[in-house]
Amino acid sequence: MSGWAALLAACAAVAAAAAFDTPAPTAWPVRFVDVAREAGLTHAITYGDPSRKRFIIETNGCGVAMIDLDEDGWVDLVTLNGTELEPAGRRDRAWPPGQAPQIRLYRNVRGRFVDATRSSGLDRIGWASSVCAGDADGDGRVDLFITYFGRNVLYRNLGQGRFEDVTAKAGLDAARDRWGSGCSLLDIDRDGDLDLFVANYLSLDLAAAPEPGQGANCTWKGLPVNCGPKGLATDTNLLYRNNGDGTFTDVSAASGVSRVTGRYSMTAAAADLDGDGWTDIYVATDSTAAILYHNNHDGTFTDVALSSGAAYNEMGSPQAGMGVALGDVDADGALDILKTHFADDVPALYRNRGRGLFEDVATQAGLGVQNRFVQWGAGLPDLDNDGWMDVFYVTGNVYPEIEAKLPQYPHRSPRIVFRNAGGGRFIDVTASSGPGVTTPQSSRGAAFGDIDGDGDVDALVMNMNAPPSLLRNDSPSGHHWLTVRLEGARSNRQGIGATVLVTSGGRTQARAVLSQTSYYSVDDLRPSFGLGDATVADRIEVRWPAGGVDVVSAVAGDRVVTIRERAN
Amino acid sequence: MRLLMFCVALAMGAPSTAQSQLPGTVEARQPPERGQAQDPARQGDALASALASARALVDGGQPAEAIERLSALDQADSRVRLMTGVALYHADRRREAIAMLEGVRERLADGSIERREAEQVLGLSLYLEGRFADAIPWLERTRAVVPDNLELNFTLGQAYIQTRDAAGARAALARTFGVPADSTAASVVAAQLMIRLQMEAMAEAELERALARDPRTLRANFLLGQLALFRGQLEAAVERSTRELTLNPSDAMASYQLGDALLRQNRGDEAIVALQRSMWLNPFYSGPYILLGRAYMKKGQPATAEGMLRRAIEYDPNNRAAHYLLAQLLQQQGRAEDAKQEFAIAERLATRGEE
Repeated sequence: MSGWAALLAACAAVAAAAAFDTPAPTAWPVRFVDVAREAGLTHAITYGDPSRKRFIIETNGCGVAMIDLDEDGWVDLVTLNGTELEPAGRRDRAWPPGQAPQIRLYRNVRGRFVDATRSSGLDRIGWASSVCAGDADGDGRVDLFITYFGRNVLYRNLGQGRFEDVTAKAGLDAARDRWGSGCSLLDIDRDGDLDLFVANYLSLDLAAAPEPGQGANCTWKGLPVNCGPKGLATDTNLLYRNNGDGTFTDVSAASGVSRVTGRYSMTAAAADLDGDGWTDIYVATDSTAAILYHNNHDGTFTDVALSSGAAYNEMGSPQAGMGVALGDVDADGALDILKTHFADDVPALYRNRGRGLFEDVATQAGLGVQNRFVQWGAGLPDLDNDGWMDVFYVTGNVYPEIEAKLPQYPHRSPRIVFRNAGGGRFIDVTASSGPGVTTPQSSRGAAFGDIDGDGDVDALVMNMNAPPSLLRNDSPSGHHWLTVRLEGARSNRQGIGATVLVTSGGRTQARAVLSQTSYYSVDDLRPSFGLGDATVADRIEVRWPAGGVDVVSAVAGDRVVTIRERAN
Repeated sequence: MRLLMFCVALAMGAPSTAQSQLPGTVEARQPPERGQAQDPARQGDALASALASARALVDGGQPAEAIERLSALDQADSRVRLMTGVALYHADRRREAIAMLEGVRERLADGSIERREAEQVLGLSLYLEGRFADAIPWLERTRAVVPDNLELNFTLGQAYIQTRDAAGARAALARTFGVPADSTAASVVAAQLMIRLQMEAMAEAELERALARDPRTLRANFLLGQLALFRGQLEAAVERSTRELTLNPSDAMASYQLGDALLRQNRGDEAIVALQRSMWLNPFYSGPYILLGRAYMKKGQPATAEGMLRRAIEYDPNNRAAHYLLAQLLQQQGRAEDAKQEFAIAERLATRGEE
């Protein structure tokens, strides 16, 4: 055996021991309650025909965001929206004035939400897919890039909850309609500004698309359903380099990003996944091998998903990747990957083995006990702040017409919660996580953040053709927590792409600041850590996207701490 | 479903009222001479000939052509509507077939072969449309005529499963598989089909029912273990597989399943024992070699792991998992070029699987 292999084997043995040598967990204190109605989130999100999805465009839904957009310290909410086709037609419905489904902005005023949609300027109507966040123009404010089936939009944040469409000004006007899916703002070259990655799901000509049941890929379980993605043409992804003045140059070909073909790309999460100090991009792809764009440090990327072990499941089978969450489930200081999939499959949990190698341990970790539902938005929040990151994902079938014939595949299904019992061993606690979890919905996007400043992580969820859910975490866990707000200097202002490592109670947890995560969504840009019984974080290390590393020690918990990047 | 129709039609054997009226087809193919009045007998000949042609087209795999020709015939004639319904069914236009056959069924003589055919095709169309509860009465009426038809009983069994009628499924599948009705063997067969149709809870109840009646029922524990593995309930999978092996130590698949569950639990040494037993019982199945490869990888014995994976590939050259795991192993050993080749094969096989 080579020394390297021996080391690997030893590491595996240690990890395995850690995974199963953990104390029995105490009672699960987490209860989610849906407070959307009382918070004023009553507008239904439109996404195609509610009862029958003729075309795949009606099925995928869209994302949501929980970001402090007006810099008042409170997490605001953004819910994307879709539209409808003309009845029995193939063109978008024309809406009467004032009735078109809008992207909605809810400003958080000290824990109470105010609908700021009307003055927001987020006024593009259409099939919105995903949102990604970051300061695109270097003015310090968080801008929003939103992808569409059609043309994508860059909204510049003007402050006070107002936005301006600067797509054309930024050089991001597309030459043709495409189906934009995931996106991420990231610093590919460590120059401090944020570049832009945009995924495309597939090429769809709605005028020529076959009707349900009218093709080889238009049935499911023997029943006619909308066609695709298999059988539909794939598309390539895009990368734009920030010119430093708020404008962008398309470097998709030169960077190697568009060289990766044959994928149905969905959510894109950008972080330093191999610990080399440069931001990589992981893309969940539907029904094909996932993509891991390794940053080659010279403005180019190479897909290393297959050789890294993060393309397929543990036995080398492709899965229908939808959502992505990054976190550190075994508290070894390295970012692991959670990826959600279609019905009859389990999520993938790629444990980071270091040196850019991953291993799918989903079944071994206990996540295989739920496989009935189509899985979408996902996160690895520490719901009870015990110092171990839990798993939360939302579900919902894509064929609402199917459940009448196959009741085992309901259109609406519960959210799924797994408690991390320690070391990355998970226990299904869905049934005991409160009505906000068990009430069935057909959900897609999900975002995580603390809406009320009580230190536990809440969630915003997109529901198909229904109002969103705002799931308040009522968790009297008694555990301590710490939220880390980054302020970049050489790096972008919010530290997007940074990895934050918090050491407390003898363990080190890693989280990344992500422009996009979950399914087409954005979590609070201030990563939150559970400290368990510890009242102090012994050490916080920030690995900034521009390459620097800052360390602070002995930080008191139960608060939001701001860490500023050293200028040099 | 074409085969079923064929078998049922053959088995029916009853004289057809329509066929009994069919005159010779040679005359029927002769067009009437210009200016000559058509007598009713000749018109009947022409219709019978046209219907026979349409049936031949359907049997020859050209239902669309048959539908087109039938549309030129008298749409008020029940036989035309029946044949059109049959052709629509074969053209996968099942909703139209259902509407057509529901309309014409009662106009056909009770007990006639035409009526039976209408009911049979109606049942199959409803079944394929996912209207299982609606399909069952028509399929059962067909079964009254051909009680031992395998395909019909199999279809009925699946329809009963989809409507969550375990007793109906058990009875139909007992007939299909030639085991005594309401026996533990019938429960095991039904459970196997329930698993195939993703009705896991129903299958579990059926298997528990069999074990309650006879704890030594073969395959019941194995299937419960399979369900547990599918759900990621690894302890239960180990327990059930072990129980199956207690009843039948020579069950290679039970040994394989036990090894799989143990390996997922990181109980590598125990997994190796189970997988070796499975391999020795059935040395030509690639599954145990693949899992043994994985077990030895985890155990830090790369040479043995490589040997196992290469043997898996020898028996099953297009096994993606074997190539993928071998690629990972080679990469971990620093044999980058060899790994690259194996990754490429695994990717090609994965892509091929998607086509």
